[in-house]
Amino acid sequence: MAKWGMVIDLDKCTGCQACTTACAMENNTLPGESWQDVLYYHEGTYPSAQMKWLPRPCMQCENPSCVHVCPTRATYKDMDAGGIVFVDWDKCIGCKYCMIACPYGVRFYADEKPLLEPDLREIFPSSNGQLWSPPYQNPEQDWKRGIGIQPPGVVSKCTFCYHKVSKAPAGTVDLDEDIAEVKEYVPACVRTCPPKARFFGDLDQPTSQVNQLIGDKHGVRLKDHTGNKPQVYYLGAGAGVPAFEPKPRS
Amino acid sequence: MNQQNILKGPAGLGLLVLSAIVLVASFGYAFMSLSSQGHASFNTSSTLPWGQPIATYLYFALASSGLGMIASLPLVFGFKQFYPVVKRAIFLAFVILISGMAVLAMELGHVFRMIWVIPFNLQIQSAMFWMGVFYVADLIFLLWKLQKLENGEWDSKTSKQVGIGSFLAVLLASGNLALIFGMMSMRPFWFDGLLPIYFYLTAVASGLAALVFFTYLANGFSRDNMSASLQGLLDGALPKFFAAVLGGTLLFIAVRAITGLYTNNPEIYVVWRDYLFASSTYQASLWIGIVLPFVLMMMASVRTSTGTQVLVSILVFAGLFAERFFFVVGGQVVPLFKGTWEWSLIQYTPSATEWSLTLMGSALLFTLYVLGERMLNLSAEPPVTVGQASTSGGVAAHA
Ligand code: SF4
Ligand code: SF4
Repeated sequence: MAKWGMVIDLDKCTGCQACTTACAMENNTLPGESWQDVLYYHEGTYPSAQMKWLPRPCMQCENPSCVHVCPTRATYKDMDAGGIVFVDWDKCIGCKYCMIACPYGVRFYADEKPLLEPDLREIFPSSNGQLWSPPYQNPEQDWKRGIGIQPPGVVSKCTFCYHKVSKAPAGTVDLDEDIAEVKEYVPACVRTCPPKARFFGDLDQPTSQVNQLIGDKHGVRLKDHTGNKPQVYYLGAGAGVPAFEPKPRS
Repeated sequence: MNQQNILKGPAGLGLLVLSAIVLVASFGYAFMSLSSQGHASFNTSSTLPWGQPIATYLYFALASSGLGMIASLPLVFGFKQFYPVVKRAIFLAFVILISGMAVLAMELGHVFRMIWVIPFNLQIQSAMFWMGVFYVADLIFLLWKLQKLENGEWDSKTSKQVGIGSFLAVLLASGNLALIFGMMSMRPFWFDGLLPIYFYLTAVASGLAALVFFTYLANGFSRDNMSASLQGLLDGALPKFFAAVLGGTLLFIAVRAITGLYTNNPEIYVVWRDYLFASSTYQASLWIGIVLPFVLMMMASVRTSTGTQVLVSILVFAGLFAERFFFVVGGQVVPLFKGTWEWSLIQYTPSATEWSLTLMGSALLFTLYVLGERMLNLSAEPPVTVGQASTSGGVAAHA
């Protein structure tokens, strides 16, 4: 089985949020439930102040702290699915311990105050046990893997678009939107990225594009000191999260 | 000696009715808002998922553990002067834990699912799995111990064994509860291997506050209604023990604050500087809720008076509740991974629904407690202590 990995080249990323939008469309997430987001940072001060940004999906960690803490095994790492970390919505009790334990802040409890008004959940009230039911939604549903629109009271997160990736022909090494045969199976964020800053493929295959990029361009994992060992690597200058720094007190 | 339990009379009935009304009203309010708005009726969010209901649960669970530990003083360690409060301590530990669990149940996304998924999936890697195991064991032992005392078995071999089992369950339950927070290295404000010790100390402090308050309540806030051995305890060992435990708590808060403020890690020092110490509520809870009671309990001339003891118990009640709140929320106020993207700490104030859950837990506690006072004899003591105390006129402190 493959071990799916993602590479994000920050020298190419323009911070356009196309990935964020594509993810929200593909997975019918609510505003604020950003399985994929681009975060903007400033670093340093004049005259060397920098503006930087970082696209951030779930890192699908090799050693996922969210899985370790989940008391119900609702959150699990599926080695038969390329090592993707899923949430089983039939098992999740909504204790939110996984959200405490994920160092990357990429888990969502959408049963919360709406980020924007009007509240989409009121406009498209729930049916079929979903938290909300928009008229156009991705037909792919798999609650055992946290795919689709979640029921209330559970945690959701990025699935590396498993509903697409899992349909790739066996033995696929690179899921690249420029390869016509596999284009449909590429995760939405990767496929949509205009400057082609994102790559997806099998980390277990020495010849895969992702491995070559990581090796040649000095790929790093964010917050590596946590020991979570992400399956998402970053290339290019500025692959790091500046420390929290409160606003200077006036 | 004029032993009376005022809760067995009309005052108890009044309190029972009042707490039952508050219970029904607060539960009704929480239930209505949860069923109409779901957890959107809380002010928690994906960036700050654990709020006041979790802090309330933590507060109740630890007060229960503290009471369990206090009950072990006579039953396991032979500090016989604590016999006069042991039955009430065990009963209170039981009802406080039930009240905490009720609050937690309303906080979870799917509480009934928990009943089957946790035992069927046996995720032994999760501290939260062990929390379930240890607190259920704790509840069973508390009930068993209570039943032994109901049967008048104060000193039998099995009651000793049950006492030891119960003590271990309490240590495991509250120590593990500490590790739920203390093992989270990605939350540096909490990450601390010694957190179980801090939880033990504060657990006993809140347990003592509950015990003192409810003992006085049962006796109509009058020493004259108490047995000689109970008076002896309140004049001797108990206030000294209370002082020692509050002193230990303060020491712990001080070392945590000093290391926290000293470190360069913004996820720790900013929390201490800009969240805890910048809050007047936190300052008040620390100085009035912990430091002042400590000082009062250290003063030999005032610590034995009824007024001081009741005041201290109420202050510590409130002080430690705030301590739990700031502990739980403080671990989450620095936005994870957001770095300089966020300018400030995450703002959180509990919503009306969250407050109603805190109120519901407290009202449930009062209701169950008054029922217990009316149906059981929580002032029971082994006959021998009554005799001893009346002949010796009080017992020396062993705190
Ligand atoms: S990034 Fe967070 S949610 Fe994703 S696998 Fe790692 S710990 Fe779990
Ligand atoms: S919220 Fe759900 S997935 Fe997360 S730890 Fe709790 S049970 Fe597991």
